[in-house]
Amino acid sequence: MNIQKKKSDFHRLCKSQLTLLCSAFIFLFSMASFGQNILISGEVLDAKNNTLPGVNVLVKGTTIGTSTDLDGKFQISVPNESSELEFSSLGFLTNVRRVGQSTTINIVLTEDSQELEEVVVVGYGVQRKSDVTGAIGKITSKEILENPSFNALESMRGKVSGVNVFTNSGSPSGSNRVVIRGVGTINSSSNPLYVVDGVAMQDFQFLNPNDIESMEVLKDASSTAIYGARGANGVILVTTKRGNKSDKITVAYDTYVSFGQLRKQMDVLDSNQLLQVIKTGYENAPKYNDYQPGAAPVLTTNDPRLFDANGQPLYNTNWQEEATRTAVSQNHQISIQQGGEKSSVGAFLNFTDSQGIMLNSYMKRINAKFAYDVKPKEWFDFGINMLVNRTNENAVEEDGGGQSPRRTMIEMPSIFPVKYPDGSWSNSLGTTDNFGFEGMANPVHVLQTQERLRNRTQIFGNAALTFHILPGLDLKTQFGVDNQYRNYKDYWPTDLVNISSPNGFAQIANEQNMYWQQETFLTFNKDLGENHRINSVLGLSWQENNFERSSSATRGFSDNFFKYNNMGAAITPDPPTSFADSWAMNSYFVRTGYTYKDRYLTTFTARMDGSSRFGAQNKYAFFPSLGLGWIASKEDFFVNNLKFINQLKFRTSYGLTGNSEIGTYRSLATIASGTALINGERAPASYSNRLPNSDLKWEKTSQFDIGFDLSMFKDRVSLEFDYYYKSTTDLLLDRPVPHSTGFTSVLDNIGEVSNRGLDIMISTVNIETKDFSWNSSLNLNFNKNRIEKLGTNNEDIEPGPFWVSGSQTILRVGESLGSFYGFTRLGTWGTDEAAEAALVNQIPGEAKRSTTKSILGSGLPDWTGSFINKLRYKNFDFIIDFQFVKGGEILQQFFHSTQDRTGYGSGLVETLTDAWTEQNQNTMIQQIRNGPISGQSSELDSHWVSDGSYLRLNSISFGYNFPDAFLEKSGLNRLRIYSTLNNAWVLNAKSFRGFDPEGSSQGGNQWGQNMFFFQYPRPTTLTFGLNVSF
Amino acid sequence: MKKSIIFLSGILLTLNSCSDFLTEEPLSEITQNQYFTSPNHAYAAVNQLYRGGIQDLTYAASAYNGPKLMSGGYMSGFFDNPNYKGQEQFIVQSQSLSLNAQTSAGYLDGIWDPCYRAIARANFAIENIPLTPGLNDNEKKQLLAEAYFFRAFNYFYLVKYFGDVPLIIDTNQEDIYVARSSSKLVYEQMITDLTYASVEGDLNDLPMPKNNFRISKGTVNTLLADVYLHMSGFPVQENKYAEAATTARKIINSGNYRLIQNGNTTTNSAYNVMRTSDSEDEYMYQVEYMSGIATNGWMATYSFPTGAVSWPGNIFKFAITCEVFLPRPELLAIYDSTEDIRIQEKQFFHSQLTYDYSNSSGTNTETRNFPKMPYLWFDQNALFTSGQQDKDFKIYRYAEVLLIAAEAIAKTEGVTAEARGYLAQVRSRASLTGKTVEVVSNELAALSPNQFIEEVWKERLREFPLEFKIWEDMQRTRKIMRTNINNRGVISFIDIIGATNTWGNIFQAKDLLYPLSANEIQRNPNLIQNEGY
Repeated sequence: MNIQKKKSDFHRLCKSQLTLLCSAFIFLFSMASFGQNILISGEVLDAKNNTLPGVNVLVKGTTIGTSTDLDGKFQISVPNESSELEFSSLGFLTNVRRVGQSTTINIVLTEDSQELEEVVVVGYGVQRKSDVTGAIGKITSKEILENPSFNALESMRGKVSGVNVFTNSGSPSGSNRVVIRGVGTINSSSNPLYVVDGVAMQDFQFLNPNDIESMEVLKDASSTAIYGARGANGVILVTTKRGNKSDKITVAYDTYVSFGQLRKQMDVLDSNQLLQVIKTGYENAPKYNDYQPGAAPVLTTNDPRLFDANGQPLYNTNWQEEATRTAVSQNHQISIQQGGEKSSVGAFLNFTDSQGIMLNSYMKRINAKFAYDVKPKEWFDFGINMLVNRTNENAVEEDGGGQSPRRTMIEMPSIFPVKYPDGSWSNSLGTTDNFGFEGMANPVHVLQTQERLRNRTQIFGNAALTFHILPGLDLKTQFGVDNQYRNYKDYWPTDLVNISSPNGFAQIANEQNMYWQQETFLTFNKDLGENHRINSVLGLSWQENNFERSSSATRGFSDNFFKYNNMGAAITPDPPTSFADSWAMNSYFVRTGYTYKDRYLTTFTARMDGSSRFGAQNKYAFFPSLGLGWIASKEDFFVNNLKFINQLKFRTSYGLTGNSEIGTYRSLATIASGTALINGERAPASYSNRLPNSDLKWEKTSQFDIGFDLSMFKDRVSLEFDYYYKSTTDLLLDRPVPHSTGFTSVLDNIGEVSNRGLDIMISTVNIETKDFSWNSSLNLNFNKNRIEKLGTNNEDIEPGPFWVSGSQTILRVGESLGSFYGFTRLGTWGTDEAAEAALVNQIPGEAKRSTTKSILGSGLPDWTGSFINKLRYKNFDFIIDFQFVKGGEILQQFFHSTQDRTGYGSGLVETLTDAWTEQNQNTMIQQIRNGPISGQSSELDSHWVSDGSYLRLNSISFGYNFPDAFLEKSGLNRLRIYSTLNNAWVLNAKSFRGFDPEGSSQGGNQWGQNMFFFQYPRPTTLTFGLNVSF
Repeated sequence: MKKSIIFLSGILLTLNSCSDFLTEEPLSEITQNQYFTSPNHAYAAVNQLYRGGIQDLTYAASAYNGPKLMSGGYMSGFFDNPNYKGQEQFIVQSQSLSLNAQTSAGYLDGIWDPCYRAIARANFAIENIPLTPGLNDNEKKQLLAEAYFFRAFNYFYLVKYFGDVPLIIDTNQEDIYVARSSSKLVYEQMITDLTYASVEGDLNDLPMPKNNFRISKGTVNTLLADVYLHMSGFPVQENKYAEAATTARKIINSGNYRLIQNGNTTTNSAYNVMRTSDSEDEYMYQVEYMSGIATNGWMATYSFPTGAVSWPGNIFKFAITCEVFLPRPELLAIYDSTEDIRIQEKQFFHSQLTYDYSNSSGTNTETRNFPKMPYLWFDQNALFTSGQQDKDFKIYRYAEVLLIAAEAIAKTEGVTAEARGYLAQVRSRASLTGKTVEVVSNELAALSPNQFIEEVWKERLREFPLEFKIWEDMQRTRKIMRTNINNRGVISFIDIIGATNTWGNIFQAKDLLYPLSANEIQRNPNLIQNEGY
């Protein structure tokens, strides 16, 4: 069949590309071999005269190397006397020795204390990693770029413990949902705060990942409290690339091209199977209806456009194949970095074209960044960073229900062609045979002709002045802006059945968002004597955000020529809309870190935040935290007795953070104004739209964290472990009020949600030799979410989404957020249960359901994690990255129309193969009935729910770094080629019938996770990339 | 360096001096204390009452599930939604007489919420109109009359559906957990409100279309007469028939309202005029719909069976049609097809469509037959050209005023010529054999008051099958009709309690009121559920 052919094309493509790549590697590798001349031997010792085994010994600039044996001895041949030997071992400083005349070289390696001096970025500054009392995860530029993608969050998945990145759509613009240590809110945003070079950034998903130097994830209260009312969901600090630190010029070019394709297809009815389902449905009609004998409908297949003379279907269209494509994406990044004594500069240019696998969906980005740092005086630094980012997107509709292509590529009957021979698009209507299909435009027609353009321009930057007032005392003042222009243009043609037919629809919307912040702070960073070290920050901050939006829309086009370019050509315009709002914050913050004897650590942090969004009585709030740490491994006991432990640090912290991400003006009583139809025209109309609450305040999260960092056997095994308990109180919740008030709710601070969990990260160096190394990391996150309190009487809240069977989720005390709510399917009524079924107006063959609703599962997983292995053999490297989820469920809302009901469109193949018949009564799938004739029985029940656990082969990556000798000859610094295969394979529960067990099509955050009425499938992607710098 | 420190301290100080940085000043909304400061505010607050209350219950938001006003039709057992009830619990529960406060909570909220929303908005207007500067007394009275009308109108539906309900007539938000008041008290409040509107309101006494589609004195009196009629019936049983008669007579005697008369052809019949025209002197209250401003969603598609959209030729501008409100055979048997125009093809109902379409093989003529479906909602332009249903939804017609008058007079004064005349006007208009008002009136002369009143009820069934009056009549009379498909046009009435519906399920007393939504009971601990739920 056609689909097979296309698949194998793809495989052949992958295979041939891989073969090519491999032969290139082998060729280059053989080039790098050399002859041998002088034999050198020797011994490697540490400072205490112990011999060191396993030390790498390398002839510098070549691939010739060996390692020391168990007695610390080695032997190696070098080309000549001017060769240099490089001795390296984990935890020791690398030592280089020129060979010279001697044939015996003994070396003493000193321990690398630098490693412990590693610094991490924290809020408003940096700290020595060893001094940090908080729980902070880090991901570097290298790790981000290991997994080429449009969006840096995509690369973060699985790399930082305690952070869940849900990729809920495979669309190029599908934004990842990031949840740090569980969801602690119902109505506000659960997104972390993104701070890029000190400036809070919106729409982080569009930032160019190539520009990122490192990302630090602040998880516990000790690290996030400095962000006060915006810190409760965790904070992601992003440092972008700047000029060089050393006095040289680096020019780099990074590129990749990738090929994405549908990973698997859903198993849907083909033409003959569909006809069989309809025929059976018609035959069963008398069971459901009071037809006179002989009056039951009969399926005919006479329409010459669809059937041949024998009544056989002319077409068997595979809509999943027709609506998708091999998506070819590319990325180009050029960077120029220069450094010097007084100044450094970096300029970066990026172009990315990311195609979606559904036809015509794309996202393009052009991004320019410029960073300049200068030190004009000894006491004064100045830095500026400017970024301009433009994205152009054609988006595929992803929310809610509707007849969007992601649905119709499953439900469009395969008996229709994409286009008829006369060139006209097919849709599901207008056959001369008696089908009762619901109206749908075919998905290819929609994808090819509907435009949903989303163009965004972001100007982002900051300027910072630092004054070195006294040794260790600096004053920094910085101004940052995030200015966004968004221009959305839609045109939905006049012939898209059940979408925009017959009138067509055009819309233009413009949004502008201007955010600025001004922050000034003093830092004091000093060693006081041998035993005391202080690291302090004291500052204040002002932030303001102004948003405006205007849009106009129109319908009633007489043809599809003008689109959004001449909206005056349509006859029925919608009223124009516009909207403006703003919010502001004013804050004061302090942090003091004190370290005694390099081993006893304490950090006190506090922030006082004021926000305009809150009630007059509660404008300001205070968020303190305290963190304590003990580096036990520095105690004499450990140093003397437990030598295999090279670091053991205990940490604990407790503190408060807040969440202020609610809409503006929610504390005020306001009047909404619009129009009402009276006498055939619009008349001004207004009404009171909100119950005011002048006491409105922050959501408050108190978080306790206890954990340790352990590394053993010279860092061969490291373990990070954290337990946390987060309790969010004063939840900003639409408190249900009696609807007899005329309102449904008042926004109030009620309710409580807790999250408790474990973050575990185990990293091991399994093998480390000169030629071969193997590192593993296992990341495990456990989270248990529980609603502790709701409303005044702990009443359930049914937040939606509302379609079949009322609210499909429920908020209930004692349960997890995002719990699915519905009936239980007990089976199907058997023929011997006819009397019982009749009591509820049902007959055998129909679904047998409980009469009350209950909680059927939750979309939030219990365990998530990753297992990543990195191997290096000489200049080759190889990464294999598995990710997994355990616990949690999936609500397969698409069962409603692809399995529970038939006849309105196509559906899953088991509606035919596993349906109830008198011979097959032990089944969950109902007897085939034709919906348009005989109605249907579809309610949200437990049969829609599947286990959400899965194991995913997230990526396999294979790279080659060209050897130094080659680079020297070609005048290059670095040359690397690689290939990556993403999302190659997924193992999920058998009862799951969709594309990908991770997803959500029900918008935003408020309903949790893993419920979808069809998905934008997540592709399998093969990438070839090149990094070069000189 | 010292200079720079001084300089920076200066910056810090200036930054600290913005005092109202955190004050919110909305730009797209007006705050409440800025409102009702000009006459336009009062007009806007009243205009809003024309949408968003009862009007929401006429809106056809879904292709699969009709406006909420249809709910009574399902409860009566005489209407079905055969194709999609499998996903609409409320319909299945209505048919099996097992309404469930919890599993149908969302549906019940869909009735309760808009009514109370409108009441709160009316209260807001009523409290503030007298305080609004710049309004003259006449304007104040007129605006208050409209606001009072809408408050009463929304309470009327609440009481009919749910019985006792919280009676809230101010905007005090201190005590929001209001318990239920007796239906009688709520009715009395409606009478107070409507009497003010009728007497003090200084409204024009004109059909709604002639009154710029605003509430007129006739609109107010129609509602008031209906309120009296219902208050006199179950469950309140406060005898107000005399007041009902008086109020209805005011409308009739004004001479400003009249029944649409039949034209020469069947396509010109009064019933087809009702279908196609929004500006007739018969209309007392209608919810406006207008292309480009507010269309009535899927209403037109309820006139064709499921699957009609896939008939050859792609004639429909909608992608889904379905039998959302399919009359059961027992309902259709209320008409004597040899006597009644209304049951003739393409009057209130239709069962056939013939149309031409062209394709590659030329022009074809297609005829499709289907079960009798509502023709009153058939909107040619919406279905086949524009895709936008813009016909008004008529809630009260003059025909109903006449029938209220006939019933109320018969109750209080006996079967007078006047009462017979009113019923006869409605019945003779529907006479296929051309019986005049006099002939029909004479036929009724020998009836006892109770027999005559049953004739009124029969006429109500036949005149308003698609205007959702059937269930409220069953509630107030506690009678259910019986028909015989082999003896069409003959209707008898029996007590509803203990009787079966067309699905074979037995009505109990509790079925005559809907349960309060479990959501609302949970939100308001002072509410007590209706008995039997």
